Amino acid sequence: MAEASANNPVVLRGRHDFPEISGRIGSIVLNGRLPRHFWTAFFLCFLLILLLLYSITYLIAVGVGGLGINMPVVWGTMISNFVWWIGIGHAGTLISAVLLLLRQPWRASINRFAEAMTLFAVAMAGLFPILHLGRPWFFYWLLPLPNVHMHWPQWRSPLVWDFAAIATYATVSLLFWYMGLLPDLAVLRDRARSRPAQLFYGILALGWRGSAYHWARYQVVYFLLAALATPLVVSVHSIVSLDFTFAITPGYHSTIFPPYFVAGALLSGFAMVLTIAIPLRWAFSVKDLITLRHMDNAAKLMIAAGMVVAYGYVSEAFFAWYSGEPYERAMMAQRALGPYAPLFWIMLSLNCGVLQLLWFRGIRRNMPLLFAIAVAINVGMWIERYIIVVTGPSRDYLPTSWGEQSLTWLDFGILFGSIGTFFALVFLFIRILPAITIFEVEELAEEEGKLG
Amino acid sequence: MSLYGLMAVFAEPEALIEAARGMRERGYRRMDAFSPFPMKELDGILEIPKTRLPWIVLAGGIAGAVLVYALIWYSVEIDYPVNVGGRPLHSWPPFVVIAFEAGILGAAFAGFLGVLAANGLPRYHHPVFNAESFSYARGGKFYLLIETADPKYRKGVTRGQLTRLGAELVEEVEA
Repeated sequence: MAEASANNPVVLRGRHDFPEISGRIGSIVLNGRLPRHFWTAFFLCFLLILLLLYSITYLIAVGVGGLGINMPVVWGTMISNFVWWIGIGHAGTLISAVLLLLRQPWRASINRFAEAMTLFAVAMAGLFPILHLGRPWFFYWLLPLPNVHMHWPQWRSPLVWDFAAIATYATVSLLFWYMGLLPDLAVLRDRARSRPAQLFYGILALGWRGSAYHWARYQVVYFLLAALATPLVVSVHSIVSLDFTFAITPGYHSTIFPPYFVAGALLSGFAMVLTIAIPLRWAFSVKDLITLRHMDNAAKLMIAAGMVVAYGYVSEAFFAWYSGEPYERAMMAQRALGPYAPLFWIMLSLNCGVLQLLWFRGIRRNMPLLFAIAVAINVGMWIERYIIVVTGPSRDYLPTSWGEQSLTWLDFGILFGSIGTFFALVFLFIRILPAITIFEVEELAEEEGKLG
Repeated sequence: MSLYGLMAVFAEPEALIEAARGMRERGYRRMDAFSPFPMKELDGILEIPKTRLPWIVLAGGIAGAVLVYALIWYSVEIDYPVNVGGRPLHSWPPFVVIAFEAGILGAAFAGFLGVLAANGLPRYHHPVFNAESFSYARGGKFYLLIETADPKYRKGVTRGQLTRLGAELVEEVEA
């Protein structure tokens, strides 16, 4: 590969050899001597898990009235959290599947934790529609199970599609992730010193031995799974957006929603990738494996997705006006000037304003600043989801019944609890499984002649 | 104990490829190579047959989609027909959505389970693990295995050939 220049930093920095790569990545897991701030951060996340458990218990005991939702705005943070978390998951699939198909070598050091991020984000997302049911213990009624009522799910309902899409997405992400882990689990099995670790990784590795015959089949199927995950990820967020667009509520009923939701998902997902990757590469001194090139590319993808989202905002506003529908127009005007106006303008300034800073290379390469921007975009995208969910129903076809919803402690308890649980899962993942794909980094080092 | 084969250890991927090619030219057929990451060149040298797994994946996808579509069709037409203002019971466009998701799910399961089954995994033990040198523990080494079942296999001769092809170490692997 060509020598690195200041404009084009390399994917891997410095010289490496195989024992060094697998040893460094493996020892994060096997030695278990993680820095003190790791456990401090984990403890803070654990407190948030307790908050989540308390909030969920309260929600189930008291009912959805404990949330700020009220007529006419009966969809609140549960739905916006759901859309937000699903979107965060999508960047992981994009990095691992789409970049694999496009043979982008820079994905190798970040795809593993991006896939883990997908799994945990989908796990969080799956909570919310169920909690929002009011009687969460009946969620299995969405499944076509034999039952004494002799009825079936309503197949024409986007909520049932949603259930199918999320369940498929979670399962396929898990299979893809586990398949990618197999060769690395074999490395950990052989490197592990203690008997419990050898058993743990040995069982999970399923007897992988790196035979050339196995690799040949493995690679074909791994690419096929990536090829399957790509249309899946687009379909999942499109179906999520259909939950809204199938209703005639002003602000929901729009054909721009599926692509606009997918782009929003990528924007928030890449923001979350950066939010995790920047501290990760700093805390575990893997700056030569996860390099500035990765951060730079992720930031570029953020701005690409962000411009599509901005186009979505413009198109939504334009078609509300162009439709000539008084209620659509009123809703759009109220969104910008009504009770939710402060949130609306914060959202625009974060998702469209702050994002523009990423055009500058100096800012994309400045890690503290990039981290701050990524967090700002995460916040902005949550607000976007919330605005979409609440402003439509708050200004629908009966002006006498216009009204807003409030946010209670329970809304925030569940939101921050889920964020804490997500990060706790990420921490456990870093502790238990190799967060960087060993075999792909070794392959990359071999291809790029970075072996010393 | 009977012998399963000879395991030759190489430090460099290029050395493994050279040795595999050399042994192939000397007429060996019952060989396997082990590497910490996939090496495309070995497919040609070892004449690994093209896998038929893509067809399994396709079949899994079609099966998932067809089964779920059939389930939906059965429920709306036969088991639970609901007449909503005379609209057709079999209104196919919304059903395609779930059938598509089921197709992806079926294909993914077929691929994942198919690759495990074709590779004979999970497997509790395999003779190659009897080799002392066969381990990822010190990072990536590259291994070439000649099975004793190979008609060309002669104990001393094969060992000598592997050593001359640059093996760091040649070890007997018990079955």
